[in-house]
Amino acid sequence: MERRNLFKASAGIAAATAAGFPSPGVSQNAAARTLRFVPQANLANFDPIWGTQYVVRNAAAAVWDMLYGVDENLVPQPQMVEGETVSADGLTWEFRLRPGLLFHDGTPVLAKDVVASIARWAPRDPMGQMIRAIQDELVAVDDRNFRWKLRRPYPKMKFALGKTGTPCCFIMPERIATTGNATMITEYVGSGPMTFKRDEWVPGARAVFERFGRYTPREGTSSWLAGPKRVLVDRLEWVVMPDPATAANALQAGEVDWWESPISDLVPLLRRNRNIAVDIADPLGNIGSFRMNHLHAPFNNQKVRQAVMMAINQEDYMRAVVGSDTALWSVLGGFFTPGTSSYSEAGGEVMKRANMDGARRLLAESGYANEPVTCLVGQDQPLLKPMGDVTADLLRRLGMNVDFVATDWGTVGQRRAMRNPPGQGGWSMFHTWHAGADAVNPAGYNALRANGNDAWFGWPTVPSVEAGITEWFDAPTPETERAAIDKINRAAVENVVYAPTGFFRSYQAWRRNVSGVVKGPLPFFWGVSKS
Amino acid sequence: MPDGATVAIPPGLAIAQAMPDVLPPVRARRGLWGFLRRYPTMAIGGGLLLLMLLMAVFAPFLWTKDPTSLAPALRTREPGAQFWFGSDMLGRDVYSRVLYGARVSLLVGFSVAICASAIGLAIGLFAGFIRLADSIVMRVMDGMMSIPPILLAIALMALTRGSVQNVILAITIAEIPRVTRLVRGVVLSLREQPYVDAAVASGTGTVMIMWRHILPNTLAPLTVQATYICAAAMITEAILSFIGAGTPPIIPSWGNIMAEGRALWQVKPYIVFFPAIFLSVTVLAVNLLGDGLRDAIDPRLAKKL
Amino acid sequence: MWAYVIRRVLATIPVMAFVALFVFSLLYLAPGDPAAVIAGDQATPDDVERIRASLGLDRPYLVRFGEWVFRILQGDLGTSIFTNLPVGHMIQQRIEPTLSLMLVTLILAVSIAIPMGVVAAWKQGTWIDRAVMGFAVLGFSVPVFVVGYLLAYVFALELDWLPVQGYTPFREGLFPWLENLILPSVALGGVYIALIARITRATMLEVLQQDYVRTARAKGAGQRSILFVHALKNAAVPIVTVIGIGIALLIGGAVVTESVFAIPGLGRLTVDAILRRDYPVIQGVVLLFSFVYVLVNLAIDLLYTLFDPRIRY
Repeated sequence: MERRNLFKASAGIAAATAAGFPSPGVSQNAAARTLRFVPQANLANFDPIWGTQYVVRNAAAAVWDMLYGVDENLVPQPQMVEGETVSADGLTWEFRLRPGLLFHDGTPVLAKDVVASIARWAPRDPMGQMIRAIQDELVAVDDRNFRWKLRRPYPKMKFALGKTGTPCCFIMPERIATTGNATMITEYVGSGPMTFKRDEWVPGARAVFERFGRYTPREGTSSWLAGPKRVLVDRLEWVVMPDPATAANALQAGEVDWWESPISDLVPLLRRNRNIAVDIADPLGNIGSFRMNHLHAPFNNQKVRQAVMMAINQEDYMRAVVGSDTALWSVLGGFFTPGTSSYSEAGGEVMKRANMDGARRLLAESGYANEPVTCLVGQDQPLLKPMGDVTADLLRRLGMNVDFVATDWGTVGQRRAMRNPPGQGGWSMFHTWHAGADAVNPAGYNALRANGNDAWFGWPTVPSVEAGITEWFDAPTPETERAAIDKINRAAVENVVYAPTGFFRSYQAWRRNVSGVVKGPLPFFWGVSKS
Repeated sequence: MPDGATVAIPPGLAIAQAMPDVLPPVRARRGLWGFLRRYPTMAIGGGLLLLMLLMAVFAPFLWTKDPTSLAPALRTREPGAQFWFGSDMLGRDVYSRVLYGARVSLLVGFSVAICASAIGLAIGLFAGFIRLADSIVMRVMDGMMSIPPILLAIALMALTRGSVQNVILAITIAEIPRVTRLVRGVVLSLREQPYVDAAVASGTGTVMIMWRHILPNTLAPLTVQATYICAAAMITEAILSFIGAGTPPIIPSWGNIMAEGRALWQVKPYIVFFPAIFLSVTVLAVNLLGDGLRDAIDPRLAKKL
Repeated sequence: MWAYVIRRVLATIPVMAFVALFVFSLLYLAPGDPAAVIAGDQATPDDVERIRASLGLDRPYLVRFGEWVFRILQGDLGTSIFTNLPVGHMIQQRIEPTLSLMLVTLILAVSIAIPMGVVAAWKQGTWIDRAVMGFAVLGFSVPVFVVGYLLAYVFALELDWLPVQGYTPFREGLFPWLENLILPSVALGGVYIALIARITRATMLEVLQQDYVRTARAKGAGQRSILFVHALKNAAVPIVTVIGIGIALLIGGAVVTESVFAIPGLGRLTVDAILRRDYPVIQGVVLLFSFVYVLVNLAIDLLYTLFDPRIRY
């Protein structure tokens, strides 16, 4: 019998003892090894390729490992791969896996598993699609080596395989990865540092993960998805709490250890508690979006879109969404993540200062004929509901005919896919947000694409934005990249691909006996310990 | 002969009451004072309800602001001179919202009470009098009643777009079976009465019997039941809004104000507190009115007061 | 009587059939698209369409209803669209907290409400009666979530006597289990106590005026014996009826209570499923709740004959 199993068995006995005969010593020990975490949302499904919500990715990142992983500077570092060689023409990529990689069922991770995983992921991912379009072949050479041959160079390859934006390229066993990407996987055999306890999963309430003892971490220091993923607790329990007040109570009472997304109004309350630490969750934050339907009146009219963008007071949105704490939000003059090298305010003056009178004039000029503006607002989303309220007020003051559809996020999800006119089941606008980590550059920024029918909901057609994006992908130097970014930003503002409603960060909070919590676009459970 | 208590409580009565006797009330002393002395609960309930009604109707003249106008820069202000009941997380005036919110709650309460009673009465009379229809109708009602009303209302709300009309419709549908059962129970018990037998024997038509003998005797318990339905509907509306399946949030209703404020319950309790008080007081008023009415038309209870 | 029992049992079949059809139709007609939710915010319209087809959501009504009923008759409640877990399994995972909550609430409510109602009837017109009736009216008038937050604030946060939220399974000990259930049960029980106390008082008042009570009194029976033996026994039918009917209030209230106290039960499963339009789960849960409710009231109907042999059918 291996030592790991021995340990597992004794841990099991300890747990059983704790459960059967509550004795303070044992249960306290067990409690110290169990990290209880309140996630931002319910883990409703667990196929990170099939469903692309952030919450699924966050859980999946602990269970499945990736070939590369971005560090806190968003530079992709090797994770499962030992290294790669690229041919001089940039067309042939040879990857080599590092030794000792195991799936949770004990079988080794082989190149064929990787190839199957990439093949399932690529069609679901905007960057993956781009690579697939220029792919010559993707083959396993032997157990540890695989080769990806392209017809054109794709310099952002490592970023594509290691980015945080959904879907991430998680590596699964071949038999699971060959599941069609329209079907949900039913087996959760991971390759990462934690195993998923399927039998303890209660969707809507709980998800349980355990340390995978035979995971081999990399050497070096840990930084976001890069470096060693050393899990320091035995067990991670996700406790789903849909009501923020309940979660705040639980954290104060010590019933949970770490809350991913406390609402900012409750933060003062948490700060008063000396056992609780509060900090920014993700420095890259989020970008709020006022998404318009470019196919139908009134937002098929560029001037109407411009009028709305001019009328928007991002400060109102931000106060409504994240509160009065001005350290948490800022007004945007562009579409990319502020604080990163790609943030640009080219052409973005109009976004930064609300001008209601100018907006009314522009609306009058536009020939707006009082067509109803069908606003889809998901009431069950704490970030989107207040945005919708501000919008209703804004459009009414602007003099537009507001048709406010208050519904749940599921219905928004259905209706926003309809291309019919608003009166026939379609829509005019909805709110959403984009993770700052996805908006750091055009590669993963799905919502900025303006290629008509292939674009994201709203289907904007703006050739100048698309031209800018192509230029960025082909940019040989940082200067040309920058020029391309400015071009994209200017075109996106002028044509109002969508109207950003501001940049905001959110908090996370944890009990002080938990250490190792880092800021990042997702919660990283490795490196976190509890005393 | 079965006694009053056992027969008169049909197994479907949601907020079941002792069934009043179908006799006219003992004559009250004359004048307002006499009325107040005789039926204090009814007087208090009615008074409070009237107050709420007046408040709802005259909300625009009671120093309110536009209940939907936003001022994010002035959000979550404590109650004070500027915002009597404080402001919510969008900077809206809670006082104005609460006053306007009375309109929605009262509208939903009264509409559901009237619609459910009217439809339930019609179906109940029909079922009570026509044996063939009875088993079919009552099976359908049993089916509807075997879905707990809030669950049924939530499911119905999932069908449609959130609007006050749809909330009224959903709650009405959920309440109809209970009224139907009540009315049918009364009809079945009355049918056994000698004077109805006599009417049937003398060849009076079914419609005439219903009109002359059954309907008047049904109205009293139905009125009492209607007040309880009204109270229940106001709470159901609040619960629907609370879980996000009710009145569209753009309309200030007490349920919506509470739903919006509940996340801040610990730090800004007044956002939940004020609508909660108003809702509770209004429901209380309706319940007291119902109790008073029941006592008033139940002579045996009235005698003991 | 046996004929009645059989007839009454058989009568539940069409009721359940109606419920099945109703529940299925209702959710079939519902707007909102699970495919869109599953696909996620960053999904393209093609993704949504593909997922919808893979879930079979694009097939006709009768086909889907037929399949659903057929599978249910085999004991298969289907598979959740979101979790890909069998609905039966999900319900099984969630049933213990809800059952526990209802059971504790039921016991608590009955043991508080009946004495309250009896005493109120006995002391009719006194301040005790008024206090009981006042409490009952309040119980009806204050929404369950307000009571819930108030209790959590006072007893968990300020006084720190009881846990704020959560649920401890029964197998981890009676006390931890009970500790977590006290506040939710009191919050949920408010309306139920009010309901039972009122009906108890009302029927007791009726019964106390009956001849046989007067006879018992005349014969010199003790006050307690009159109240709890003669009168309460005769008042039992409406009281038990209301206890059964009140289960609906508990089910409805559990939805809210479980949210407030973060109890991972069926109520929260229902709300989550409805908001996410997870059809198989909604259908399974509503069907189950209805089934339980029908069974409880069937049992009570049959109990009538036990409690009150005067009722003949």
